[in-house]
Amino acid sequence: MSETKKGPERASVPFRNPGWAGNTGEFDLSEAEVRGDEYVGSRPADGGHPSRAPSYPFMLEDKTPDAPLFEGPYRERYEKILSRYPDMRGALLPVLNLAQELRGHISQETMREVGALLGLSDAYVRGVTTFYTMYNKRPVGRFLIQVCTNVSCNLCGADDVLEAFLENTGTELGETSSDGLFTVMEVECLAACGFPTAVQINSRYYESIGAGDVPGLLEHLRDEGGD
Amino acid sequence: MAYPYTHEREVRVLSRGFGEPATRTLEGWKTLGGYEGLTKALEVGRESVIEEVKASGLRGRGGAGFPTGVKWSFMPQEKRGPHYLLCNADESEPGTFKDRELMRWTPHQVIEGCLIAAYAIQAEHVYIYCRGEFFETNQVVARAVEEAYEAGLAGEDILGSGVSIDVTVHQGAGAYICGEETALMESLEGRRGLPRVKPPFPAAIGAFGKPSTINNVETLCAVPHIIAHGGEWYRQWGTEKSPGTKLFCVSGHVRRRGNFELPMGFPLEDLLYDVCGGFEEGRTLKAVIPGGSSVPFLDADDCAGCTLDYEGVIEKGSMLGCASVMVMDDRTNIVKQVRRTVDFFAHESCGQCTPCREGTTWLSRILLRIEKGKGTEEDLDTLVDLGKQMTGTTICVLSDSAAAPVISSIEKFRDDYLALIRRGEAVGAG
Repeated sequence: MSETKKGPERASVPFRNPGWAGNTGEFDLSEAEVRGDEYVGSRPADGGHPSRAPSYPFMLEDKTPDAPLFEGPYRERYEKILSRYPDMRGALLPVLNLAQELRGHISQETMREVGALLGLSDAYVRGVTTFYTMYNKRPVGRFLIQVCTNVSCNLCGADDVLEAFLENTGTELGETSSDGLFTVMEVECLAACGFPTAVQINSRYYESIGAGDVPGLLEHLRDEGGD
Repeated sequence: MAYPYTHEREVRVLSRGFGEPATRTLEGWKTLGGYEGLTKALEVGRESVIEEVKASGLRGRGGAGFPTGVKWSFMPQEKRGPHYLLCNADESEPGTFKDRELMRWTPHQVIEGCLIAAYAIQAEHVYIYCRGEFFETNQVVARAVEEAYEAGLAGEDILGSGVSIDVTVHQGAGAYICGEETALMESLEGRRGLPRVKPPFPAAIGAFGKPSTINNVETLCAVPHIIAHGGEWYRQWGTEKSPGTKLFCVSGHVRRRGNFELPMGFPLEDLLYDVCGGFEEGRTLKAVIPGGSSVPFLDADDCAGCTLDYEGVIEKGSMLGCASVMVMDDRTNIVKQVRRTVDFFAHESCGQCTPCREGTTWLSRILLRIEKGKGTEEDLDTLVDLGKQMTGTTICVLSDSAAAPVISSIEKFRDDYLALIRRGEAVGAG
């Protein structure tokens, strides 16, 4: 495996995709340059400019399933979200995203609370939450690993990659490993078809992953974390 | 091979900033002529903007290929309330991966396109509906929007013109159907993404019940260039009916996969064998899906002489869609890949219309049976019959999309199906 990553923080991750014309060998961009980490900068707790507040959720290392909806900087973000939509209902998806960032999953209780905040019924919020795949209806592991097995990745061995993740984490599809670290799922096309197999781990994409890369990638996650 | 890889036949207009981290920033985008289009648009007035886009012949890059300028002109001329511009960044058609690259390398290109379009249709608010899975890409676009606000390019009184346009980056939550224009509107409004019956069309009643226009990321990215250089300039590439350049997303069994920006009307065989370097040693072409999972298969004979423009691909019995070229060589198990495609549609069906909700599941079950070697020859007739009943009978085209690869693969690769049915042997491994 050729290591092209520069910089100290992610040296063991097989980062081989500079984007747009993937498997062409050497490139001299760092992972941070490809991902745009420096450009994005640090994420202000209050969400920064209101235009970006609805796009803000991340998967936090520490989830607090009983955190209040919403206090402190989260309250500020919540209010910024509301300011961007003509009615309360429009804010539902971003507010659910925010709740999931904080609590890690959307329980029935969370649905009820979000409904109460926005003046929507429990049943309505439940209907919406269960329609979308990104809302975890139950807690997931520290790392949510989503492997694309759709056609473009499938043609290039995605089934083997998925199998390798299951084997190396010792878990079953959709379940969480006994150490609470890994939940492995299949995901539909991640829009990285030129760089098979595409895997999303929490907020980040890892592309051009082969079955042989999986043990090293998991090792890296265990040792160094990552969002 | 030098990197970044570009092929000499590529025409990099929209993809010029790919692989250049510096062009992400406002300053970097300006060094490539960024925001000249917006400045010019505000000077010449919105009618002229629409005329210029009409003159360019730009057609929607989201799959349908509807002329963009014409779409904009459907918006009410006299304003009675808010208008909205929606940027469809919910890229999720299997095989398509161009919008993510456009957004992460050139976020200001997207924003400039949005602002010009919003100005043309008198919208005061732009929602960039970004796919939920694109956390990283989202952050890049959101940072760029913030920069645009800081520089007075978005928000109140843009560049002193008196025009005010707000931009909000909205994050979806994982649903393929939300890429359908009216489902996206429902989703933006905080509902389940169920496509709406048309009419009324979005230009009359769109998002939040107000006149709205929705354009794909790539369409909007072409707009600043067209305004800065003129519609005639854009027509130097492509064909009479499909002008301009297009990002072709090539995936599957070729040596070089990726996004390649080429003139419309580019020969498919040149794309496969020249730009993408052909197949691995000893492998040959079996099938191509030229426009993402939703369109019919082309076999090797169809590929001969096929040109990649909206008309050229239709002539060969498929559609250009969003130019997502999925390539399969002779080791491909077509039945398995069709079943995988149909599984996807069954998963993503919103469940609103019976032919789709039931049909996708039935297709999936029957195909799985055949794949396992337990199918019968009558199953093939059932699949075709079912597929036909799923075509043109639902609110949106997801149902038609699920049927298309099934019907076309049975027609073109019947022997692959028969090998499984008669002998339980798959042709091809994966």
